[in-house]
Amino acid sequence: MATDGSRASLQLPCVFSPKSRQYLALCAQDGRLRIWNTDSKTLHQEYVPSAHLSATCTCIAWGPCRTVKEGPQRKKRKSEAGQVEEKADLLAMGTAAGTVLIYSTAKGALHCTLEGGHSGGVNCVQWHPEDSLLYSGSDDTHIVEWDLQTGKKRSNWKADRAAVTSLCVSPDGKLLLSAGRTIKMWDLDTKEVYRKFTGHSTAVTTLCFATTRPPDSNGLYFLSGAEHDRLLSVWQVREDGRDKNSVVSFTLTDEPQHVDLVPSNSKEEAVRLAVVCKDGQLHLFEHFLNGPCKKPLSPSCTVQMSDTKDSPAPIPLLAAALGADTRSALLAYGNHLQPVMERAEINTAERHVCLTRDIHTSLSLSMETAVSKVKTPVVNAKSKVLVPGLPGHQAPIKGTSQGSEKRKKDTDTKEMSIEERLGEIDLSTVSTEKGALKGKASLQTDNFAVLLVQGLESKDASILNKVLQTRKDMVINKTVARLPLPVVLPFVEELTKRLQGHPCTALLIVRWLKAVLVHHTSYLASLPDLVTQLGVLYHMIETRVKMFHKLTKLNGKLHLLMTQVATSDSSTTVTDVDHTAKLVYEEESSDEDEASGDEGLQDADSDNWEEEETMEEDEKKQSDNDEEEDPDSRTESKANGEEDMEHENESEEE
Amino acid sequence: MASFKPTKIPIYPKLGEKVTQDTVYWKNYKAPVQIKEFGAVTNIHFSPVAPHNYAVTAFTRIHIYGPFSQEPVKSFTRFKDTAYCGRYRSDGQLLVAGCEDSVVRLFDVSGKVALRMFKGHTKAVHVTDFTSERYHIFTGSDDYTCRLWDIPNATELNTYQEHTDYIRCGVTSKLNRDLFITGSYDHTLKLFDARVDKSVITMDHGQPVESVLLYPSEGLVVSAGGRYVKVWDLLKGGQPLVSLKNHHKTVTSLCLSSNGQRLLSASLDRHVKVYNTTNFRVVHNFDYAASVLSLALAPDDESIIVGMTNGVLSIKHRKSPEESKEVSHQQRRRPSYRVFVKGKNYMPKQDDYLVSKPVREYLTKYDKHLKKFNISKALDSALQRKPEVTVAVIKELDRRGTLKNALAGRDEKALSELLHFITKNMVDFRFAPVLVPAANMILDIYRSVIGQSPVVDRQLLYLQDLLQKEINYQQELLDVLGMLDTLFASSVPRKELLCLEGMNNCTLG
Repeated sequence: MATDGSRASLQLPCVFSPKSRQYLALCAQDGRLRIWNTDSKTLHQEYVPSAHLSATCTCIAWGPCRTVKEGPQRKKRKSEAGQVEEKADLLAMGTAAGTVLIYSTAKGALHCTLEGGHSGGVNCVQWHPEDSLLYSGSDDTHIVEWDLQTGKKRSNWKADRAAVTSLCVSPDGKLLLSAGRTIKMWDLDTKEVYRKFTGHSTAVTTLCFATTRPPDSNGLYFLSGAEHDRLLSVWQVREDGRDKNSVVSFTLTDEPQHVDLVPSNSKEEAVRLAVVCKDGQLHLFEHFLNGPCKKPLSPSCTVQMSDTKDSPAPIPLLAAALGADTRSALLAYGNHLQPVMERAEINTAERHVCLTRDIHTSLSLSMETAVSKVKTPVVNAKSKVLVPGLPGHQAPIKGTSQGSEKRKKDTDTKEMSIEERLGEIDLSTVSTEKGALKGKASLQTDNFAVLLVQGLESKDASILNKVLQTRKDMVINKTVARLPLPVVLPFVEELTKRLQGHPCTALLIVRWLKAVLVHHTSYLASLPDLVTQLGVLYHMIETRVKMFHKLTKLNGKLHLLMTQVATSDSSTTVTDVDHTAKLVYEEESSDEDEASGDEGLQDADSDNWEEEETMEEDEKKQSDNDEEEDPDSRTESKANGEEDMEHENESEEE
Repeated sequence: MASFKPTKIPIYPKLGEKVTQDTVYWKNYKAPVQIKEFGAVTNIHFSPVAPHNYAVTAFTRIHIYGPFSQEPVKSFTRFKDTAYCGRYRSDGQLLVAGCEDSVVRLFDVSGKVALRMFKGHTKAVHVTDFTSERYHIFTGSDDYTCRLWDIPNATELNTYQEHTDYIRCGVTSKLNRDLFITGSYDHTLKLFDARVDKSVITMDHGQPVESVLLYPSEGLVVSAGGRYVKVWDLLKGGQPLVSLKNHHKTVTSLCLSSNGQRLLSASLDRHVKVYNTTNFRVVHNFDYAASVLSLALAPDDESIIVGMTNGVLSIKHRKSPEESKEVSHQQRRRPSYRVFVKGKNYMPKQDDYLVSKPVREYLTKYDKHLKKFNISKALDSALQRKPEVTVAVIKELDRRGTLKNALAGRDEKALSELLHFITKNMVDFRFAPVLVPAANMILDIYRSVIGQSPVVDRQLLYLQDLLQKEINYQQELLDVLGMLDTLFASSVPRKELLCLEGMNNCTLG
């Protein structure tokens, strides 16, 4: 069951419309159904099921082509039959909740919802080619036959002991293939098992009729593919019932994801087959189906796609449909949200073809058109409710939802890697950073210590990186404190190796080293060969620290230059300030003016004349001295500035 | 005539990383060939006879690969369910394999259908092997029993019911036809002797045993289980000799190198470790992309083959001697063929006078420039090389006293290139003594023009930022140095002289 769940989540349904291949229906990861026009390469319609998150779409099937108009005009059309184009209209979507949605592309809205048939998720839906019947297979091991005229289920029978994973209706509409644990062929008139085929050990994901039923019924062949299986098997339905084993098998590179087949109508016509595998490769086969073939057949042509970057990465193919002639094929590739469609000519003479496409440009182009041409359907507002009971698409039945939850849990526990667990630990430290929950924090450091020990024992770089990149002092201290003694020295060795790196990373490592030295002082001191053990570390640090003085000086120099550049940039705007600074000289001269004023006053008493002159001379000398001193004082201030800078730096460093 | 001496490039060893004989040996493998199998690869076994094909057991198949083939040369697909433990007989003619459906199948290597089917076990059979006299098969199963079978008439000879849990590994002795060892999930290893019909030695591993390996001498046995690899001495009645714990997840597979000097262990933690078997230290480590389930070494260590949980088989072939040499002498140009052939058939005579041709010296580009005193150009061309070379050239220029001239007169682009180099290598303690004065000089020279070019300014700012970080870091280191001093001092009283000597050695060497 768990594998079924994972399959549904991995393999997103992706189907071309029949015959003309005009549309590609795709249900992407976000649960929305998108219908792309393969001619114009644009988004034709987008539909969001009301329960697209709770009940994801698991399978899609296009209904048989029919003309859109109805009723009274029928006679007219018959006469114009050559002109009127048959269009694919209805689309059946099975959901994980057990309902089937019928969507009409002609209306661009939900046509109806088929409910009440399944108690488990729907795995597969298939249309009857002629009558308006629909078959759905489910996890609850039943097959339901729906009548679309009435919108109710017509019959319902248990098909297998395990979940029904795949269905296929024969082209003449008389037989139905179902696959659970075994492949069964049902007579649709009597609903009885016609044949059983065993051989697959895993869930069958693909069933497909390879021939139309010819008059001699030994010529009916069908095809099956299973998950985790790299072989597609072909089975022959023989009249004598001796059809125990598959007659032919096709080898693939991975499990099949999308199969397109041009059936053969006679023995002389080869069956053409295009299989897109899970690894994104397309394999083309051509084979005459006439009896068993011992060896598995390898593809006649394998197609891969890659982008046009310097180091090309593969682009996964999503689906492929064969064209009318042997060479052309319609390809869909890229991601599910923005698939790129292309009709490509494939040189089948080559065994291996690699197509390179610039996916980004084509992506952006289709983005633009998508925005302009999206037809927004009215979501669920006027959907026809045909089943008595609650309206709309209801929440899933309880039992199944629990089942799916369980499944998810199972896969979670299985797939959780150490990295993810560590990631979660990181989150928990963020939440407990406030120190409210000490118990939790200690538990977490304990984990770190265990991890660190494991990392040291196996010298696993990824684990060590993860642990040593911690920035929190508390975590570092507790982890180191819990470190068992035998790994202390290997840890110091590892730290020594990492200390040689770039200062950004090494700064983190120093904190670990300090913590080790602080917490394990007594142990280290008790070592008899301590000096030889830590000698490398000591030597390394010494050599690195040797340049400390010079580096600091260089830093100071650079700092000064850079700040000067910064100030000179700003100083061009504030030159006025400089001018005011120069006023100092004028003040001195004003002193002189005052002195001259004094002279004027003292002119009256001419006794002090000489003294005055000498005073003046002194003053002049002083001013000269001032002028001489000035540049010096400037340099001094510079020097002071530099020192200040250094002091500042040091204070910053501390 | 004194000739020009090319610049000497000192070789700086990186601290803490030692290049040993082992690393050279184990690194001498080509890039791996990866083959996708159908499922997890649970066992790989080499044929004991040339050309040493190997059987890979994965999912419901056994594929036989040739020593250099990338596709299976043969495959055995007639299994109803998952196959286990495909092993060759010592003559390489027969292959035995267990299966999830409890039937043991015996194949002829050239045939396709099972020659014999051994039915008797009630649960999956994970262990199969041939005994040394070649006509018996030993099997171990999840039904807690191990059995001996006779090949010619496909009958069961004996059943041993001593284990109390699944038996998942085992080997037969290659020297004695009656001895075999099994490892079980009940944490024990048992040595059985067919002559007395019971186990003669029981060893407690402490963890579910995943893999057992016998030394060629068969005196020692190695077991892997949990995170431990343990070595036991059989001659001393199963005394544990060594316990190794170098993985952080379960060890799944063991293997000996061809000369028996190295032991390899593979684990779910995606590592393969190589141990020296004399001191049991890890001497090398391989990393793989997924958890490793099975491991095998080709005879003469020609290739390492590893099977992983994701179904990928990784094959590493040893480089041939020419290839490993070519890597080192790739740049050298060979003389033309004609030169090679000329005088090939000449036989030297006794009275030939040998004229020694002066060996022409090839100078690198920067040395040519240095020779012509184009110092700026020399520096420019040296900047394109490895940092060791660049630093050596800067040092040489400094010795000549022309570093200032070489640094001066640069435009924005050349200067930013130079600064880029300096910022990149400034923090490397090997280069700092040369680069710091150079940086000083650059600042002196270009002081007047700083602020004119945004590119250079940005680089200077970056350099400043880096210096700040480095200074912070070195201050932390000084702290640590202080701590270490205290530590050393506290241990001095005991062995004062020795310690001082050690200190001197440390600081000198």
